[in-house]
Amino acid sequence: MTPELSPHLPEEAMDDALMGLGAPEWEAHLAHCALCRGRLEAFRREVREFNQASLAWSEARAAQVPRAAPRPKARPALAAAAGWVLAAAVLLAIALPVWNHQHGSSPGYASRDASGDAPAAVSVPGDSEAQIAEDNELLRSVNAVLNSDEASPISEYHLADGPRARLKGRRELRNR
Amino acid sequence: MESRVAEGVRPMSELDDIDALARTYRARLLRFVAYSTGDADLAETIAQDTLLRAYNGRASFRGECSVATWLTGIAIHVLRDMQRTERYRFWKRVKSTAIDVHEMASFLPADGSSPEAQLLAKEKVEHLAQALENLSKKQRTIFLMRFTEEMTVADIGEVLGMQIPTVRTHLHRALKAVRGELGARI
Repeated sequence: MTPELSPHLPEEAMDDALMGLGAPEWEAHLAHCALCRGRLEAFRREVREFNQASLAWSEARAAQVPRAAPRPKARPALAAAAGWVLAAAVLLAIALPVWNHQHGSSPGYASRDASGDAPAAVSVPGDSEAQIAEDNELLRSVNAVLNSDEASPISEYHLADGPRARLKGRRELRNR
Repeated sequence: MESRVAEGVRPMSELDDIDALARTYRARLLRFVAYSTGDADLAETIAQDTLLRAYNGRASFRGECSVATWLTGIAIHVLRDMQRTERYRFWKRVKSTAIDVHEMASFLPADGSSPEAQLLAKEKVEHLAQALENLSKKQRTIFLMRFTEEMTVADIGEVLGMQIPTVRTHLHRALKAVRGELGARI
């Protein structure tokens, strides 16, 4: 049994007609069928209205955000000259401190003696014999405190002994 | 495609005046990119870059297609280049300006019809815009190229580097989806 053929354009043929790829036999059908023509025209009308509204929207948007037309890039020769000037400036910025470092004109190196020898030894205020003696005395007193007969936690809780002794030590600790 | 330029001689054209180029095509480019990407702000940038690239590369325009088709092709390339960059992905995450379809529909020019008919027309425009939003990116772009930019299937294939049957398949799917969204009216 053969299925009954629709007298109107199938969806695919309708799409092809919209794409501008309609087959001649369907074009002939469209020329005679008001219903199919009406369906095509309904779609085209909706698209047309969308196009009108969206174009008016984008025109308004373009006018709302006034931007100058994009400027073409600067002439290459001018851009190249500007690049060379920038490169020279960077080179100078690097070279000057290096030259100063090598020729000792930087104020940071003013403590060097005139003969160009190594800088004089740095003198820290308060680094006198009396101060050294005082510091030594302080260190000795700290050592004395550390070396006192006070029992260390290791020996007190038998932590250095075997596992059984350690258990005993922990039990004692808990009972305290 | 008509050939407009005699070999070896390129007459002074609208491409030589960047201000005129922007005046004539900026809004159209803006619309195409905005509805293709769904991002109005991004469309501004792409439209600017497209015009600048077209102006700088105007010597390569051979006149084998219309200026509008040529610009659409450039916009597609600019968009592709931009979508590859990390900066684009970052800004897409951070700030994306979606198009307000109600606002857009309100720009439908009044054609002297009754207020009811105008309201109905605006609703249809909104429906179509929403139907486009639901298409895949590729389907949407191809749909716009065909029905908004009125490019031929062959031109679309050339710009996108696709075979005609592939363009046709995408258009079939897009039309089926749009028809489904718009209901039984069409």
